[in-house]
Amino acid sequence: MQRVIGESKRSFVTGNEAAAWACMAAGADIMFGYPITPQNEIMHYWTRIAPQFEREFLQTEDELSAGFTVCGAVQSGKKAFTATAGPGNVLMQEPFGMAEAMRLPIVGIIQQRGGPSSGTVIYSQQEVTLTTFGGNGEGHRIVYSTATHQEIYDYIVKGFNVAWKHRFPVFILGDGYQAKMREPLEMYDPQDKGIEMVEPYPLLGLGGKIGTDREPSHLCNIYSLEEELYEVVLKFAAEYEALAPQIIEYEERECDQSDIIILAHGVVSRAADDAVKALRAQGIKAGYFRPITLRPFPQQQLRDAIARSGAKKMLIAESAYGQFDRLVKQEIYGETISIENLFMPGVGIIENDIINKVKSIL
Amino acid sequence: MATPTVPKSWYLPTKPHKFCPGCGHGIVLKALGEVIDEMGIQDQTIFGCDIGCSLLSWNFFACDSTQTHHGRTTPVMTGIKRARPELLCIGYMGDGGGYSIGSQHLLNAAVRNEKLTLVLVNNTNYGMTGGQMAPTTLPGQKTETSPFGRNPEQTGYPTMGPEFIAQLTPDSAYVARGTVSKYKQLKKYLRSALRNQMEGNGFSFVEVLSTCPTNWRTNASQTWNFLEDEMEKYFPVGELKTPFGKGEK
Amino acid sequence: MHTDDITLEIVCSGGVSFTKELQARIAEAYIGEYASGKSELSINRALELRKQGRRVNLVDLDTVEPFYTLRPIKKMLEEQGLNVIAFSKEDTFGLGETGAMLNPQARWALLNEGDVILDIGYGVYGAQTLNLVEGIDQTPELKVLVVLNASRPLTNSPARIKGYLSELGRVDGIVANTHMGDDTTIDIISAGNQMIIETAREMQIPVKYFAVDKKFEGLMPTEQLNVPVKYIQRYMPMAIW
Repeated sequence: MQRVIGESKRSFVTGNEAAAWACMAAGADIMFGYPITPQNEIMHYWTRIAPQFEREFLQTEDELSAGFTVCGAVQSGKKAFTATAGPGNVLMQEPFGMAEAMRLPIVGIIQQRGGPSSGTVIYSQQEVTLTTFGGNGEGHRIVYSTATHQEIYDYIVKGFNVAWKHRFPVFILGDGYQAKMREPLEMYDPQDKGIEMVEPYPLLGLGGKIGTDREPSHLCNIYSLEEELYEVVLKFAAEYEALAPQIIEYEERECDQSDIIILAHGVVSRAADDAVKALRAQGIKAGYFRPITLRPFPQQQLRDAIARSGAKKMLIAESAYGQFDRLVKQEIYGETISIENLFMPGVGIIENDIINKVKSIL
Repeated sequence: MATPTVPKSWYLPTKPHKFCPGCGHGIVLKALGEVIDEMGIQDQTIFGCDIGCSLLSWNFFACDSTQTHHGRTTPVMTGIKRARPELLCIGYMGDGGGYSIGSQHLLNAAVRNEKLTLVLVNNTNYGMTGGQMAPTTLPGQKTETSPFGRNPEQTGYPTMGPEFIAQLTPDSAYVARGTVSKYKQLKKYLRSALRNQMEGNGFSFVEVLSTCPTNWRTNASQTWNFLEDEMEKYFPVGELKTPFGKGEK
Repeated sequence: MHTDDITLEIVCSGGVSFTKELQARIAEAYIGEYASGKSELSINRALELRKQGRRVNLVDLDTVEPFYTLRPIKKMLEEQGLNVIAFSKEDTFGLGETGAMLNPQARWALLNEGDVILDIGYGVYGAQTLNLVEGIDQTPELKVLVVLNASRPLTNSPARIKGYLSELGRVDGIVANTHMGDDTTIDIISAGNQMIIETAREMQIPVKYFAVDKKFEGLMPTEQLNVPVKYIQRYMPMAIW
């Protein structure tokens, strides 16, 4: 593995820069992208540092093209990625669907902005449904919802490995605040942390003499009969479900013997964590649960936490109007804990928002 | 009687192919196969096909091949070529995929002078979906979505693909329009288009006028007449741009 | 930095003489890497001058980045007596990706009476962004100051700093602003600034001052390596949340 960072050092960066450096350190060969706020600096920094490490970049004509070029590049055996947001993420659901169907190891970084439509260029958590279950497929994707710059870096490195090892598309779900915030993180070359990077391999352009050494590789993405597709989707579903326990990640704090569990993901979980500490200090027994993987979802772990806690209530806080809430409810169907909401679509949620809400419902 | 020969680069387990009798795709793919054989590039060729009737070619060649969505062959092949420049990438598509749903990709790949060879088969309609109007449907031509004949006042005139691509590309691009009625000429155009990519010059584009008797509802002689008398009159056949002006004549 | 210093330097650098008004005016442009602290230092400098009873214009010339600009805190800064030339949040209603908008008043900022502090956004054009401002050539008192944070990845080694500075275009001085956000320590500041000052010396670019977070006041020597230390208050966190 080519060294990018050298001696691991702490740096003061924005989330977008963290993403660009992480892709570089993870050994990504090529980025395809199309400008959209708030992810632009990923492209800015990738293009600034790529020549130094002999990496490639193409600015495509739109997000459809960015997504499909990534699909082509990974078929040829190169680590490729893209980054987008909002309406760009909508367009990219078409190529992301192809990646799901052909099991292509693509990596997409999503910096959520406000919606619907063009919304705002700033921030939201309104791309949860799109990123987890977008397209006309079954959500056979892996989605990491990050909360800090360190996590953006770590999960991008991990994401490339998960994508190439298991061949499910991987998405890093950030947001405009994480993209633009400045905070310290440790940048490192994966090998220095004992992380072995999975080598990419081609699905096309396999070398050798066709007919003599091998058969041609014909990659299929469309089926004639219902039964053919049925077999494929069932196989993917079985593989996805078998893999899920290895992939699922979450954080849980103070759930045991709590009166209320606060559930949040992404950057909002930082506020939730602070809120729980503050509430505990005030004698209110609050717990914290945060799925890091939104797909696959830590549903059993959440059910266990609810059971252990004895809590009567759960508060779901998100910068969207119920996208995370729906995801949680479908995952823990059958639980009888009462669920309250703090929906603040497109705006940030701070500790006090959560504290006030908790006090109003307990 | 001589046994009909097939190109070595055809993938025999998928033959006979499934194109309709009288369809021009078989001729285009035979010409392409022979050119691949003659140039000895089978093992380094990546064949990508669009959705539409061109999809029936997905496992046609004994070359590494891939499928994608309707209109997206150009970016998929761009991705492969950018990631692995040593591979020879052929994108194969119809007029709907290239000139309509994927027109932004075609246009921008041409502008960027991507080192690709794109072959676009023009049969004046959407064949696979049942014969709807295409960007290339001729004025007055009946299709399932222009039941009274295409009215240019309402739906514009046929897209002149090679003409607009020639305007967009630099001198190092190759742009031609061939026809399945002139087989040797077609092979020459395909050869030039592949050579242009191999030499790393630039974008190479060949539109091929082709036949669709199934959706035209024509017999053999009517089919050929429509091709030679109607289509070739509207869409001039020839090379529009040869690399550095020195293409084969 | 006093106005006399400015006059003295200008005379030294070319023997050019200016009118009293020009000598009296301070004009500084803060340029630098993305997230290096340009806006923060521009604000602090403008308020410092304001506290001396001067008339001060603070100009937002960030054309790339709609976040972390002066827009959200414009009113607060105006209440402290600055003339802030920037769009306010209300001005950009309905505009979405407003990063590339240049406020027409910013173009003519140098014609304003009083000191002018220019906050220049990042970008590959570096100091060339100053071309957007009318009258740059007729403003010899203008100093182009580059803000450097040695904790930023592209300015974290002498080689990278040199590479970065050499691409910037005109630079009259450096402000060393090494920090690590909430994790800043005196060691981080000292080590980073030491590197900056050594590199600057090699490149013969003067280091004008060290910018250090107020919370370290009293914990640092007031002058390090013959460079004055200015304690700054962080306003920009208010510009996002």
